[in-house]
Amino acid sequence: MKILVADDSRVMRQIVTRTLRQAGFGGHDIVEAADGRQAYDLAVAEKPDLVLSDWNMPEMTGIEVLRALRAAGETVPLGFVTSESTDEMKQMAEAAGALFLITKPFTADTFADVLGPILG
Amino acid sequence: MSVTTDDLNAITEQVWLSYLDPEGLHPFLPSPEAPAPPHVIASVSVTGAWEGHVVMTFSEGAARLSTSALLGMESDEVSDDDVADAVGELVNVIGGNVKSLLPDGSLLSLPHVVTGEAGAKWPAAVEICRLQGSWQEEKIAIGVWTSKSTGAGE
Repeated sequence: MKILVADDSRVMRQIVTRTLRQAGFGGHDIVEAADGRQAYDLAVAEKPDLVLSDWNMPEMTGIEVLRALRAAGETVPLGFVTSESTDEMKQMAEAAGALFLITKPFTADTFADVLGPILG
Repeated sequence: MSVTTDDLNAITEQVWLSYLDPEGLHPFLPSPEAPAPPHVIASVSVTGAWEGHVVMTFSEGAARLSTSALLGMESDEVSDDDVADAVGELVNVIGGNVKSLLPDGSLLSLPHVVTGEAGAKWPAAVEICRLQGSWQEEKIAIGVWTSKSTGAGE
């Protein structure tokens, strides 16, 4: 499977990729986006099987990316990996069609629990 | 609704266990001793229903150690850009968790990072809580500041 990891921090993209491996999902292709605009463009062009997106990014926020994808008819599964997790944000994410919201800091156990049913 | 040093302690423990000290060998050790002037200052701002800043300060060694731990590299291999990215992400994670303790309707900024001895000041804000201490002998402090006009004294 192909996973798009969108985060404006290269350090965090690396941590997400490493945590995927530690959670037992190391065999998947990883594509990286460094801002929201790039995340949208790559989600359309690369047809990933899953998008793991930060919320707070330059160009477009994660929720703007998700809404733009759905408005364009793109149904790619998307979940947020974000340092913020207020009830307000969870409701916005769910209403826009996000599959889940993982809060930073996360562990490999969190990734295994949340992503296991999706990545198998 | 406010943020306390105990909150910062709980958030910091989670960040260390997840990213900086997953084996539990080198925990962050709080200390009442005020740190020397920092070399690297990373901050995020909160605007909206609550206004203020979350500020993390590092000695040069602490910034490099944090970066090397996050990237899985030796500390003499990390570049200045790596340091700015890493400490910016650390304050983003801590700031996001602080924001979850604040009233709904607030927005978190992207991180700002300042390097050097000149320091940085927030003249329109007051510090409401602070956690300071050391990690592997290097100094780190985390403070939450609230704007004088909106949140002081709450």
